[in-house]
Amino acid sequence: MFCYQCEQTSRADGVLGCASAVGNCGKDAQTSDLQDLLIHAVKGIAQYAKRARDLGAGDNDAGKFILYSMFTTLTNVNFNPARFTSMLTEAAEIRARVKKAYEEAATAQGVVVEELSGAAVWDIPTETNELLAQAAMASVRAGEAEVGEDIVGLRALILYGAKGVCAYAYHALMLDEQSDEVYANLESTMDFLASDPTDVDALVAQALALGHTNLTVMGMLDAGNTGKFGTPEPSAARISAVAGKAILVSGHDMADLAALLEQTEGTGINVYTHGEMLPAHSYPELKKYAHLAGNYGGAWQDQQSEFANFPGPILMTSNCIIEPAASYRRRIFTAGPVGWPGLRHIENHDFSVLIQAANAMPGFAADSEEKTITVGFGRDAVLGVADVVIDAVKAGAIKHFFLVGGCDGAASGRNYYSDLVDQTPDDTVILTLGCAKYRFNKKDYGAIGGIPRVLDMGQCNDSYSAIQVAVALSKAFECEVNELPLSLFVSWFEQKAAAVLLTLLALNIKGITLGPTLPAFITPPVLNTLIDSFDIKANTTPEADLAAALAA
Amino acid sequence: MSQTYSICLNTQDGKEISFDCAADENLIDAAAQANITLPAVCHEGNCGACHGHCKSGEYEQKSHSSGALSEQDEEHGGILMCRTFPRGDMIVEVTSDLSHITSGPVPEPVCEVLAVDDMGGNVCRLLLKVLPDEQGAINAEFEPGQFMELEIPGTDIRRAYSISNAPNWSGELEFMIRLQPHGKFSSWLLNDAKVGDQLNTKGPEGSFLLHQAGIAPRRFVAGGTGVAPMLSMLRQMAEFQETHESHLYFGLTSEEDLFAIDEIEELKASVANLTAEVCIWKPTATWQGFRGSPVDAFKRDLEADLAKGIKPDVYLCGPPGLIDAAEKVAEELGLPHTSLFSERFLPG
Repeated sequence: MFCYQCEQTSRADGVLGCASAVGNCGKDAQTSDLQDLLIHAVKGIAQYAKRARDLGAGDNDAGKFILYSMFTTLTNVNFNPARFTSMLTEAAEIRARVKKAYEEAATAQGVVVEELSGAAVWDIPTETNELLAQAAMASVRAGEAEVGEDIVGLRALILYGAKGVCAYAYHALMLDEQSDEVYANLESTMDFLASDPTDVDALVAQALALGHTNLTVMGMLDAGNTGKFGTPEPSAARISAVAGKAILVSGHDMADLAALLEQTEGTGINVYTHGEMLPAHSYPELKKYAHLAGNYGGAWQDQQSEFANFPGPILMTSNCIIEPAASYRRRIFTAGPVGWPGLRHIENHDFSVLIQAANAMPGFAADSEEKTITVGFGRDAVLGVADVVIDAVKAGAIKHFFLVGGCDGAASGRNYYSDLVDQTPDDTVILTLGCAKYRFNKKDYGAIGGIPRVLDMGQCNDSYSAIQVAVALSKAFECEVNELPLSLFVSWFEQKAAAVLLTLLALNIKGITLGPTLPAFITPPVLNTLIDSFDIKANTTPEADLAAALAA
Repeated sequence: MSQTYSICLNTQDGKEISFDCAADENLIDAAAQANITLPAVCHEGNCGACHGHCKSGEYEQKSHSSGALSEQDEEHGGILMCRTFPRGDMIVEVTSDLSHITSGPVPEPVCEVLAVDDMGGNVCRLLLKVLPDEQGAINAEFEPGQFMELEIPGTDIRRAYSISNAPNWSGELEFMIRLQPHGKFSSWLLNDAKVGDQLNTKGPEGSFLLHQAGIAPRRFVAGGTGVAPMLSMLRQMAEFQETHESHLYFGLTSEEDLFAIDEIEELKASVANLTAEVCIWKPTATWQGFRGSPVDAFKRDLEADLAKGIKPDVYLCGPPGLIDAAEKVAEELGLPHTSLFSERFLPG
């Protein structure tokens, strides 16, 4: 195996990337290789699907497969090798279908049928030993000896960004939001990668185009969430236990949560959110359920100890799953793209077994002392008080905005973000999103003119909301976003963050501080390009970076 | 004060877990002292549940049943941890994944009899339901392949039986128990057991589990009621819609011993890629199925598998003779021992 797609990738002995029997995420070599092969198969599908769509014979079911299968290869999503062998079988069938559709459309329109090569004509073996024997061909580093690590790194940037876009698009799809344009762009991206591109300018252009696609996708997801569940509003989310049977929902999928809330209504079972499900407490159509009892625990990396202590079953709806410990592995369930060998996977929102498990378990014996945090400062909430904010800026009561968001992780250097927020002056406002906020979201940082200094805007995909706020402020102040008193501190861990980063770059947002470490696939020459074009910065120390931001 | 040594367990999934063990302490007890629950039942070297393999280090292996640990296995570093006393630091391979090694005491739920049925072939189906504990919780979590110790009501006599149903949250535990002449548990089943009876149990226990992360084809070789844990595994595979190419070799001595045939037929219909055959060792002239032991049938197919480069995961359960014979076949044909998972049914 070789994998360097996430922030915790091995950097031992100066070698960047996980290349041993088991990656730092817990993914074994066999699973990693199968994921690479699945990506290769997806490229083959995309080669035909793009051409078929160009001829008016688009296949959105193939597009859905691309979203789902790409999502399964994100960090901490699916570790079940058997699921990948099944998906490879399915990929072969889908590729044959889109190939036929392309050839028929071309023939019907008098267009010469292209003789495709590479992934398009890969004969996908049915025997797993034969499959695995071909893994090197599908490695992210394939061809590095010929083209060099910079090119391979740029290809990886696009691939990993595309994985993030697919994950968001899958979430949107679960909320009945999809778009031909997005399928077309993703097919085009994967077709581009299938051509083994080597031109730096073309690679950079493709990465930025993908960033724009991600903005569209985040907009679709935003529309899906607000369309189904209403506009997020500032709300108190309880962070302490309530007596009674309990189910914990982790991941990102609000549609799963909504279905579970509906199915558990009146059963006496309380439902708790975990990690990136926290924003659920701000959506009117979700918080209307009295048994959406509260938020439990912190960010994803603490799940092994937190899940062990939760007295009910756990539902993992998307990333980020870590190897379940013995203490809870029989009561954690997966849904959607998530998988772990030996865990029960729930299909089609049938949560009956989860409810059975909750009833069989003790639940919380007693109420804990009530504690709450405030969530729900989406763009509507913030822009709803835009006049107050603008007046506060003009009056000097708010001197600077910080966007501190993204992923959390176990690395010790991630206390950078809590240290940074702790040191922000009292006349500044912090917008936050993603699970990085768990480093500081339970502290009281006070308020400015009735507006809390820390505004939780939601999940990582609610970067869309943050962008809308920034754009609205720039209009109000009649300046460019880059001229606002706004500094972005992006904490990345996996591929959704890579997609968000590409969006910010596509919007020409400059001066982003990225950490806690830089992606291993961004080589020094590529980094220099990003610095030259976008003034992207790596974390140094909270003190120095804060001072630099305030002096800008 | 006894000398203390460091014991490092290498789990099947490549992880490590360590604890200290005094020279006058066996590995199972020392692990328990460290809040590590290793598979063990009889604690007397008779059942084989605590089998491991010493990779390095000195130890003393106390007396044990040859059925639980064969001489040949012992020569190659095989140990029964309940009978192993360290004489130096040790590294021991165990067949459990780290995520299956629990901590704290093994649960001891009280169960109620839901059904006692004759399955044919002198085999009894016992269906139990775990009763809620004082917290209102039903401790009925188990992994396919595990067993429970069942206590005859009113006595302290316990027998270990593999669970044959799939994990569930209704608290149901199903067992397929061959009735032994003069067997104490058999006598209770035949003469006294009735619906509504309560009995003390202990479990789940055991490390004979599906290699969940494997994608190789699966071969299940069962002798008699050794099919029970495999039914649990296959039933979960059906529920999980697993698509591994699988084959069950179900061995019995004669047609008179037939049982669980309907259950196997049901699984053939519900497990995506399962085939199964009943192997009769001493068949009558009219027997239409495989004539011979399940190991003979397994050997026939393993040769074909290996010729195609396929190394299946092989699950063996039943009497020690069957396990030994199947292991010998695998070794002769070149299947790595890491592809073998076994549970020996030994007389209690």
